[in-house]
Amino acid sequence: MQEEELQKTEKKSAYELFFDIPVGPQHPALKEPAFFKFRVEGERVVGVDVDVSYNHRGIERALEDRNYIQNIYLIERICGICNVAHTLCYAQAVEQLHGKEIPSRANYIRLMVEELARIHSHTLWLGVAAHEIGFDTLFMYVWRDREVVMDLIEMLTGNRVTTAINTIGGVRRDVSDEAKDKVKKGMNILEERLKYYRKVALNDPTVNARCSGVGILKPKDAIRLCAVGPTLRASGVKNDVRRDDPYTLHDEVPFNVITFDTMDVFARVLVRIDETLESVNMVRYCLDHMPNGDVRIKLPLSPPVGEAISRVEAPRGELIHYARSNGTKNPERYKVRTPTFENLPSVSEMLTSKSDYEVNIADIPITLASIDPCFSCTARMEFRDVSKGKTWIWSLKELKAHCSKSRR
Amino acid sequence: MDFLLELLQILVFPGILFAIGLAFVYEWLDRKIYARLQNRVGPLYTGPSGILQPFADFIKLLAKEDVVPNEVDKPLFNALPIFALTLSLTGFLALPIMDLRGVISFNGDLIFLIALMTLICIVIMYSGISSANRFSTVGAERAALQLLGYEIPMMLSAISIGILASSMWVYDIVSIQANSLWFLIGPGILGFAIFVLCGQAELERIPFDIPEAETEIVAGWLTEFSGRKLALFRLTKDVELLYLSGLAVALFLGGPSGPVIPGLEFILYPLYFLLKTLFVLFLLTTLRALFARLRIDQMVNFSWKYLVPLAILQVLIVRVVV
Amino acid sequence: MSMLKEIQKSLFKKKATVLYPFKEREKVHIPEGFRGKIVFDRDKCTSCLLCARFCPSGACEIVTDEKGKRPIFHLELCLFCSQCQEVCPKGAINLTEEFELAAFDRKAFTIR
Ligand code: SF4
Ligand code: SF4
Repeated sequence: MQEEELQKTEKKSAYELFFDIPVGPQHPALKEPAFFKFRVEGERVVGVDVDVSYNHRGIERALEDRNYIQNIYLIERICGICNVAHTLCYAQAVEQLHGKEIPSRANYIRLMVEELARIHSHTLWLGVAAHEIGFDTLFMYVWRDREVVMDLIEMLTGNRVTTAINTIGGVRRDVSDEAKDKVKKGMNILEERLKYYRKVALNDPTVNARCSGVGILKPKDAIRLCAVGPTLRASGVKNDVRRDDPYTLHDEVPFNVITFDTMDVFARVLVRIDETLESVNMVRYCLDHMPNGDVRIKLPLSPPVGEAISRVEAPRGELIHYARSNGTKNPERYKVRTPTFENLPSVSEMLTSKSDYEVNIADIPITLASIDPCFSCTARMEFRDVSKGKTWIWSLKELKAHCSKSRR
Repeated sequence: MDFLLELLQILVFPGILFAIGLAFVYEWLDRKIYARLQNRVGPLYTGPSGILQPFADFIKLLAKEDVVPNEVDKPLFNALPIFALTLSLTGFLALPIMDLRGVISFNGDLIFLIALMTLICIVIMYSGISSANRFSTVGAERAALQLLGYEIPMMLSAISIGILASSMWVYDIVSIQANSLWFLIGPGILGFAIFVLCGQAELERIPFDIPEAETEIVAGWLTEFSGRKLALFRLTKDVELLYLSGLAVALFLGGPSGPVIPGLEFILYPLYFLLKTLFVLFLLTTLRALFARLRIDQMVNFSWKYLVPLAILQVLIVRVVV
Repeated sequence: MSMLKEIQKSLFKKKATVLYPFKEREKVHIPEGFRGKIVFDRDKCTSCLLCARFCPSGACEIVTDEKGKRPIFHLELCLFCSQCQEVCPKGAINLTEEFELAAFDRKAFTIR
């Protein structure tokens, strides 16, 4: 809700007991800087104002100053947790500019690492969600078991988090048979543990009490507000880039699109757990069906003139990269659309009480966490006057006013 | 001479010094067990197995800057931590440890002990309100609501034991349990369960750590306190933990009594007290590891839907037995 | 109640924590191919300068010594992406499995 709308709610209550609770920029429930202003009446939330531009890093601009190879590592650092999705999307876009296909084995490895990263991201989220509802024991257990997949990623790619495995024209490392065995073993452990967590989520009374009926997002609102990823699927909308617009080998590797129709945080928990189980199976499929051959083709540094768009289903939802090349070794324009940015409008919808739906202060952290926010990639725009060394941000209204003025 | 002895009892053993020392050890145990339940190691490096960690935390906080915000109600803000600590220590003095009666013991002290707990909660409420912070205000509001939830079942369960012993004197309650095993485990078992659950709420620990829910309202009513004041509040929480487990032992588990060799009571009684409180502590810690935090409305609901009827049932059981 | 069973089990299970920095150093497994501290072999380098051209973070700086141009690596800027290792035609650069790179002295971060 915007500032003016917040003003409207002022002094409408019978007790005039509205006050604002600031959540952020630094708050225990947020791992990254963002600011939410909640207007509350006792424990009830009646309005919310969101500001996410705290961390503008100028990555899109920086991409234009580096060559295509250097950009892989910059793109990777947009978000630490979904770095595989970002590099995959980037590599696809650049390959599209080149108009080249990569070897099949490379595609299998890409898909496998992508799914491993999804497992790691979703288990990370599960732990964070448990912490947000004060269930620290579950948090510790989940993160302990997450180490299994972290170790596998480290073994396959050379680093626990920033994998740097995708590159233009394929992948940088091959998978040995020994590594395959280890991954298989790891998948067995993970499957067992994930099934256990599924049981806990379904049976534990306190988890149920805190998650069901909280953070409701109706399917039609979800579509209207452009929700993506697990947030959208938890509202019962069957939408997954992997199915709708298959990239790498997603049309070959079988998987189910998990949806859930309770539309609340609980659904998001279960969608994520089930998706992780699907990922486990996909990794297994990749290991069994991986053909032999090259993992990489050599491509020239500068792609031909052209434009490309690539889409990837990142753990948090649909990720879109756009690249424009002018034939030099640096991209002319690069644009990234991250899933968290798309999900933010839905969050303010979930957090506003309506006639038949109450939001409590206590529901704020888990509802915020339920979209798996990653605010580091949400600040999109800021203005900088280099000569004065001043930086500022314009609201939509100011921006429009400025545009219409300059148009005249 | 008598006076000196009494002073010694109040100040050293089993009085204030003992209480504070033991409270630190119990916090350490609590953290250690909690960590074990979560497959971690817990405090490790300060002292053997980290036993000095709570004490080190306390010292560290004492040395920290003590910020008093401009907007707070200063006299209240400064005095409340001391009030809270005093209240919990006073409660500890009334627990039977060395003897079947505490250092302070009078007819009707059960009511006094229960009132003390409510008073601590009221101090907490005032701390939240006097802080003039939004998170604190919400925390104080929640503390008050939570008090409405757990206080009645807690009192009922305590009073049912009073009815059992036909007395409101902790000494009587302990002695009647010391003399017969039946009274120890028979009619009070349900009351014990209720008392422990409510104790968890009084101590503001998961699943009832609603007034200071970290991820929701930062630190709730504690948000503005820093340095010395925070240290005192944390110590209060530790002493309160000890006090509540001691009270549960005194009311339901026969206090410090147990099989004794005549002449050795002064060693054996405190030993039994320690063992029994450790058992209660273990229960409290397990509860903490087992659940997610409830929402305030769910907590009050739970308490009025289940705990209050059960507590009434407990009173009825006792009526029938007596 | 599946949680109750699990925490009971944990009580007697071996702890999951590795007491890493002070004890149990041997329990930390670094897999083969880990991208850690850079080592540089001056004799193999032919001054082609490809490493500096592709380094994304400017950690690879070109200086001139008695044998001509050569890179030096600033670990405090390095991302450990191993791009330099990949492009070096002579294999003069290697990323080792050493990962404990913290130091009090800035000089320790410069690999010659
Ligand atoms: S590892 Fe990467 S960041 Fe480090 S020096 Fe080599 S190319 Fe540069
Ligand atoms: S790429 Fe290799 S050979 Fe070329 S300058 Fe760098 S280290 Fe020397």
